[in-house]
Amino acid sequence: MQILRRIVVPALAISLIAGSYATGHAENVKIGNIIPLSGPSATLGQQGKAAREMAVEEINAAGGIKSLGGAKFELVFADSESKPEKGVAEAERLINTEKVNVLTGCWNSAVTYPTTAVAERYGIPFVVPVSVSDKITDQGFKTVFRIAAKDSWWTRDQFAFLKDMEKEFGTKVERLAFVYENGDWGKGFAGQWKKLAEAGGYKVVLDEPYPSTATDLSPVVQKIRRAKPDVLLLVSNAADAILLTNTLADYKVKLKAIIASGGGHADPSFLKTTGKNAQYLFDIVEWETDVNKPGAKEANDKYKAKYGQNLTGEAVDAYVAMYVLKDALERAASLDPEKIREALAATNLSSGPGMIVGYDSVKFDKTGQNENASLVMVQVNDTGKGLERITIWPKSARRAGYTPVFPMPNK
Amino acid sequence: MNYKNINKVALVAILLIAFGLPLVIRSATYLHILVLLFFYAYLTTSWNLVGGFAGVLPLGHAAFVGIGAYTSTILFLQYGISPWIGMLVGGVLATIAGILIGLPTFKMRGAYFALATIAFAEGFRVIVENIDYIGPFKINGPRGLQIPPLDIGLANFMFASKEPYYYIILIMLVAVVVLTYVISRSKLGYYLNAGGEEPEAAMALGVNVARAKLIAMAMSSFLTAMAGTFYAQFTLYIHPKSIISLDLSFEIAFIALIGGRGSIAGPILGALLLRPVGDFSRIYFGDTLPGMHLIIFGLVLILVMHYQPRGLQEPLTRLYNNLIRRITHNTTGR
Repeated sequence: MQILRRIVVPALAISLIAGSYATGHAENVKIGNIIPLSGPSATLGQQGKAAREMAVEEINAAGGIKSLGGAKFELVFADSESKPEKGVAEAERLINTEKVNVLTGCWNSAVTYPTTAVAERYGIPFVVPVSVSDKITDQGFKTVFRIAAKDSWWTRDQFAFLKDMEKEFGTKVERLAFVYENGDWGKGFAGQWKKLAEAGGYKVVLDEPYPSTATDLSPVVQKIRRAKPDVLLLVSNAADAILLTNTLADYKVKLKAIIASGGGHADPSFLKTTGKNAQYLFDIVEWETDVNKPGAKEANDKYKAKYGQNLTGEAVDAYVAMYVLKDALERAASLDPEKIREALAATNLSSGPGMIVGYDSVKFDKTGQNENASLVMVQVNDTGKGLERITIWPKSARRAGYTPVFPMPNK
Repeated sequence: MNYKNINKVALVAILLIAFGLPLVIRSATYLHILVLLFFYAYLTTSWNLVGGFAGVLPLGHAAFVGIGAYTSTILFLQYGISPWIGMLVGGVLATIAGILIGLPTFKMRGAYFALATIAFAEGFRVIVENIDYIGPFKINGPRGLQIPPLDIGLANFMFASKEPYYYIILIMLVAVVVLTYVISRSKLGYYLNAGGEEPEAAMALGVNVARAKLIAMAMSSFLTAMAGTFYAQFTLYIHPKSIISLDLSFEIAFIALIGGRGSIAGPILGALLLRPVGDFSRIYFGDTLPGMHLIIFGLVLILVMHYQPRGLQEPLTRLYNNLIRRITHNTTGR
């Protein structure tokens, strides 16, 4: 018994420790993900989690990172509850306690700012799949890389689209109305719309923020009707997008076009609850299921079978982020944070599995922004198969055989 | 050794442990959790001056945290004034706000007072969310303010490591606890206590209850605003939804209710229990069972409220006294 206790137990313990050390070191790439898994943005966090898991499953099944001896991706999720101080605490924990090699997140721009600052301090690379605020890549950080387009690009493309439509259909647009949720996101968009409208020679006849939690938006709709705009630009979350669309139809407000900004208008529940009222709506998004890219349809079908809904632009960003990391790690051939960072900075990922985005390649500029990230405009219409979202702009991406409806016919 | 001596030894031991903890705990993660624990203990102790001693239930203290955080941050970002000075300016502004809220609302009873303070704090949040500038001061609406971590140092209230923050908030906590102790033994403390329990009887005896409550409110709002500056410097980013939120106001009240309102140790005990429950359940269940930590948090709250409606402070004090009695009895018996 003495021998057993003196020799066998320590030996076992040592082999266990050594074993776990060896496997922990040579096999796994730990990716920490800070996203809102509970709280007000939980559904979006859950989509991001599902998309990451699907990508990692594929990457691991295909043999992991070959340059690291087949290292597998291991995802660690942390809940931010959409609160900045929780995000910071989780970033500290993931870096110090979980010893993650890379971080990703955080969807809410308000959580992403202070959290990326933590990663910058420790020199841990931080991939931001989607958090649109311009400021995130304007902080001068070296470790931050963003996949999604930033919000100044969204508004820029909305106005470019409007100009193109005016030209294509020979309809003049003069009067614009801005109606947006009064949070970080809506206010950021509205600020840029104002500048773009001035530069484009448009007249702004209404500038109206409203709280997303409102249960009655008829006062806002009355204001829109009185202001008689040609085009209405919107930024809305889920419930208010539905409410606005239905109220606009109730009051029979006449407009040449409505241009929305994704978010609530791109939510899977939107078309189900607005039906015909949403017909002819234009919406700008990062990704649409009818995108003409190899593998996109398969990825969407797989996701839909697994999680019961279509991929959204935000889920696609999270999905692509995992493949961008795989590509960078393959080239870095090391788990050293600085080597990974350098490899990420040199990214030029144009093909291969996972590249299901509408643009040609993922490539980061000096600030860490994906310089190719681009957006598409869709129109909600019925081509005989029920209402659906049809890609119409840029013209090169337009669905074959579809002519956009502009201006909107009076219903 | 008699009862008083043991108390002193225990107090010194607790202080030594608290000040020595960063020598043992090197992990930034756990220090971060501890800093937030002390931050909430400090906030709740400040709240306790009104919510505990004065016997009313204010549920809008996040507004004062916001005033403190915004004042020092704006002064620092726009005029380069050290946050230490901004902390005091914020305190003064919050005091004025506290008195302005207190004047009309202290006449209200029970739930009406609580609702009025919620309304004030929410109104304040909506205003901050919807304006970008007050005169020359940039508030930046819902996007909040970010403090660039460039000039690290004591003068700028900014540090690269967690230890300085740990000691600052610990000293603030000790100071506010001492202050509470002094007040509880002063005339003001007795006035507050009397006014909180039997306002009519107290007034009949010539106690100016309204004035005592206003003084307590003024002190409480000043101290709470100082915590706001601390928070801003600790996270280096503030925005209305995180700092003027109802969640924050409620969490302060929860900690006080769990620990024991109106006692000196209550807020600290409450923070010691609730903060780790929240943090560790989020760490362990946040991934696999999202939202689970909120359920656990709620469950602890319900259990304590049901079995110890006066807070954990009461049974723990009894336990502590029994323990000491046994020790003193043993030593004298020998």
